[in-house]
Amino acid sequence: MKPLNPLVLTVSVPPHKHYGSSVRGLMTAILMAMVPAAAMAVNTFGVDALRVMALSAGVAVLTEAACNRLMDRSQSVGDLHALTVGLAFAFLLPASAPWWLVAFGSAASIGVGKMMFGPLGGSPFCAPLVGWAICRVSWPGQMDLDASMLTMNLTYPLGQLKAFGWTSVQIQDTKSLLFGRQLGGLGAVQVAGVLIGGLYLVIKHHVSSIIPVGFLAGVATAAWLLHLINPVVYPPAMFHLLTGSVMFGAFFLATDGPSSPNRQIPMLLFGLLAGVMTIVIRVWGAYPDGVPFAILLANLFTPVLERIRPRPFGAR
Amino acid sequence: MTMQATPSLDLAELTLRRHCPLVTCGQSVLRGERLATASAPGAGDIHTPIAGVVTHVDAYRIRVEARGHDEVEPVDLAALSGKALYDKLLELGVDLPPADAVDTLIVNGVDAEQGVLTRASLLASTPEPLEHGLKTIHALYKPRLTTLAVLKGASIPDYDIQLTEIDHNYPAGLDPLVALAVTGIEAPDHTEVIGLETVYHLGRVMRTGLPVLETPVTVDGKLAIVPVGMPVSRVLGEAGIVPAEGDRIVLGGFLRGEAAALPTQGVDRSAVAVTLVRNPAPVAEDVACVGCGECVRRCPARLDPSMITSYAEFGLYDKAAQAHVEVCFECGLCGFFCLAHRPMLQYIRLAKSELARARSREEVAL
Repeated sequence: MKPLNPLVLTVSVPPHKHYGSSVRGLMTAILMAMVPAAAMAVNTFGVDALRVMALSAGVAVLTEAACNRLMDRSQSVGDLHALTVGLAFAFLLPASAPWWLVAFGSAASIGVGKMMFGPLGGSPFCAPLVGWAICRVSWPGQMDLDASMLTMNLTYPLGQLKAFGWTSVQIQDTKSLLFGRQLGGLGAVQVAGVLIGGLYLVIKHHVSSIIPVGFLAGVATAAWLLHLINPVVYPPAMFHLLTGSVMFGAFFLATDGPSSPNRQIPMLLFGLLAGVMTIVIRVWGAYPDGVPFAILLANLFTPVLERIRPRPFGAR
Repeated sequence: MTMQATPSLDLAELTLRRHCPLVTCGQSVLRGERLATASAPGAGDIHTPIAGVVTHVDAYRIRVEARGHDEVEPVDLAALSGKALYDKLLELGVDLPPADAVDTLIVNGVDAEQGVLTRASLLASTPEPLEHGLKTIHALYKPRLTTLAVLKGASIPDYDIQLTEIDHNYPAGLDPLVALAVTGIEAPDHTEVIGLETVYHLGRVMRTGLPVLETPVTVDGKLAIVPVGMPVSRVLGEAGIVPAEGDRIVLGGFLRGEAAALPTQGVDRSAVAVTLVRNPAPVAEDVACVGCGECVRRCPARLDPSMITSYAEFGLYDKAAQAHVEVCFECGLCGFFCLAHRPMLQYIRLAKSELARARSREEVAL
């Protein structure tokens, strides 16, 4: 038989076209969404904020590259996830954080929060929060936002709330809180910038709106109920929404894919749980800002929430 | 729309799915002679569209090189009915599901996937064999209800049959969702969905008395009636499309279709389209699930494709079965939206075929 056609075809499994999304694309979108808050952070805290963000992002990428090398895995820093984790970790730190704390926490976020569990998708926790939790417990002094920022003329509203009560909080007006005239995680408290970025992610469908809505609803409802019971002791819901890492947690941390549920109802419950836990920790817990631990706790509930699932098509 | 005359072939390659070859190399065959018999219920046999000599037989294909023009004698089908007719039709290459206890018979006239317009064009342009096919199918299955599923707002000739309108959005045109639209029940009992191309095959067989020798496909946005077994590169060539090195030739739609292994691979009866994909880079990559949950939220069967495919990836097929992999009707949306570009549908099909093999092993053991 004569060779009819010496042509060699590519053989591949379906689909033969793709929607166009990718991990790198999503991470690029998240990084872009963090730019407004990062710019506001530099504006508020000066070059110190830039120092912390650059160091944290750099160390995260280097740690992932080194882990891949040591674990004999294919290099994955190109998907920009490590860069995103590094920047997110920096957003939670005080601008005064010493270099070793930034470097250690960023490396821990990637090493313990991600690489230990395999490639992207394996970790049961939101990676930057793992690094944050390790640092917060190990070096409470350096991580304490109030004490570390004595040089700034801003105050830490959540610290004042925890230590002296609602009546002693100096910054209460919405506008100041919204535009980052408060102490806190250097990027996380740039509420207006975080909100712009978060809304961009949601509107462009890079992240589902369910978890942010659930989270913010959880915070608002719990705070509103307490405020209703005793408005002298408990601040109004808006104060809680605009302080600490609530906005950043709602849009950037709680929405982390692997550590949050996948279906609509579990996602909503996950968001509500994290939101309510935030207020519970702020009111009755030891930490002024409950967001990081609230999300880590909600992460632990993910497998349980995942069990809420609909009946498959046609199954009886 | 062009309905090209059947081109003469110098080579035909018949794809075997679950068929046993009946011919050997070097054997001369007449046009319409049976080459292979189906070993699965509801699948028709395979016949050569050209007279010639068998030049290649393996488990996956039979090749025939053209020689002469002799044709088999047509079968007189008018005298047959019921089981005898059903068996004869399978033998003549019509893929018909078993004919007992069918209450609702749905003829699916919707091209589920984007870019495929085979069924819509058939409905609009070739009422004659379809009417014949519809009449026969109704007599064969004796259902309480026969309905033709068409796209919402489609204008088609009068087929004297109840119509059910189907939503435009993918995957509404897939058989299980069409059955849901007709009956209001998910996976209803005593309901069969038959593709319009099968009705077309049936109509042609009834009229000519010859086996299924040609099939309708979409090529370059137009309907073409091509011989079964026509090499895919030839099908594209007739439409003026020349494949280049490294291209993909897809039989079927983009989400579910199969890539041809060779340019000579023949069009089979289930291929509703032949499409060239110029990009040589496959979509799928060998990566782990990143846990974004996109597939879970997109799945129209309400499954968890991320878990199912991860089970299949590691050979945990019983776990995949517990996660209801059998419910999946293979729309392919999970792979289309997969952030990590995992070969989702392939993993699902792997799990299903491994489970089916395990079941048949158990049956043998019993």
